[in-house]
Amino acid sequence: MLIILATLILGILGFVFAALLGLAAQKFHVDEDSKVGTIMAILPGANCGACGSAGCHDFAEKLIKGEVAVSGCTVGGHEVAQKIAHIMGVEGEDIHKKLATVHCGAKDSQRKKKAEYFGVKTCAASNIVDGGGLSCRYGCLGYGDCFCSCPFDAITMKDGLPVVDPEKCTACGKCVSACPRSIIFLRPYAAKVYIACSSHDKGADVRKICPVGCIACKICEKQVPEVFKVEDNLAMMDYSKLDISCDIAIEKCPTKCIMKN
Amino acid sequence: MELFGIFFAAFLINNILLIRFIALCSFFGVSTKIDTSIGMSFAVVFVMTISSAISWIIYHFVLTPFHLEFLRTATFILTIASLVQLEELYLKKVIPNLYRAMGIYLPLITTNCAILAVAFLAIDYKFNFMQSMVYSLGVSAGYSLAIILFAYIRDRMVLAKIPKWFQGYPIAFITAALMSLAFLGFTGLFGL
Repeated sequence: MLIILATLILGILGFVFAALLGLAAQKFHVDEDSKVGTIMAILPGANCGACGSAGCHDFAEKLIKGEVAVSGCTVGGHEVAQKIAHIMGVEGEDIHKKLATVHCGAKDSQRKKKAEYFGVKTCAASNIVDGGGLSCRYGCLGYGDCFCSCPFDAITMKDGLPVVDPEKCTACGKCVSACPRSIIFLRPYAAKVYIACSSHDKGADVRKICPVGCIACKICEKQVPEVFKVEDNLAMMDYSKLDISCDIAIEKCPTKCIMKN
Repeated sequence: MELFGIFFAAFLINNILLIRFIALCSFFGVSTKIDTSIGMSFAVVFVMTISSAISWIIYHFVLTPFHLEFLRTATFILTIASLVQLEELYLKKVIPNLYRAMGIYLPLITTNCAILAVAFLAIDYKFNFMQSMVYSLGVSAGYSLAIILFAYIRDRMVLAKIPKWFQGYPIAFITAALMSLAFLGFTGLFGL
């Protein structure tokens, strides 16, 4: 008798709770925009936070509210941005794939040392100890902090210099923040040219310590004035003018620090 | 005065984490960051108060009349699990901000032993409804106090020089033990 009663009471309780839950699920049903699911399917789903939102789902929700741009997902790049733009119906918006670029071209053998460094072999550590004995105050330290930070294996170290694979790079910006000397920047993928130097030292000083540094000779500025401009002893590029050919400037650069890839 | 006594006995003197050693899993699992421990505390206060009220009602108005007191474990688990689900649905619709703030901790609490323990203890102590409400508030406040304090200590421990063999959980357990000793000092407070 007791067994039957116990089963009955527990069964009834279970049934009541189930009914309550079922009712509540209907009554408190929250309509989620179906676009969130569609966009989630397109997004990389890495939840890396490079876009500034707390994960891909948050990004998708903000996107629908119009708080972020369709090209906000740096990891997904051009392809994802276009697909999202298609869903959101905002085609033709300015969408650019970006690429991490190391603004230093000095290989390990070309770097002049003023002292031997025996400390911890990371860029961050050696940068604290006066640049790990490197004469150049701006250049790449070569211990590969960017290489370690890259979640997509897009960076390889070649002769002590990081080489970015344009196909693998997703412009997530992890290497940009990992570099203690701040010589990695994101540039438009379409721009095939970049300045492989970050030194603001005077030309004569650069010549003494580096064979491939920018000596601020202003030859590039004279050849292609629309794109190049020398500021504070360093050549700068205007990436908004991508259609102008820079070949002549690359050819005439005496230290070959304007690079093409 | 009696309610005051019940509250402080549950809050400090019989602190559920540090004296009774119930719900240690969440105590060690969620206390690695201060933010998460605060989120968990809010969720525990919320769920514990409501679930102890509902389980008190079910025990006294459903189980006792039929002399089915022995069924309380199964019944309470059923009650708490469905209650948490119900609260989740309700919050998602009515207070979305609170829902987002509690995040994963709300469903996580379904399996928290402290919630079940409070439902049992309130019955073992033969509390009436008001007393059991105050008791569950005291327990959840004690839980929050202990886990937030512990999270702050663990936050500082990251910077401390700890011998290799003590790093991670060993030092966390030692710290918890020292905190527990400190909480023993509350015994006899207010003559309780």
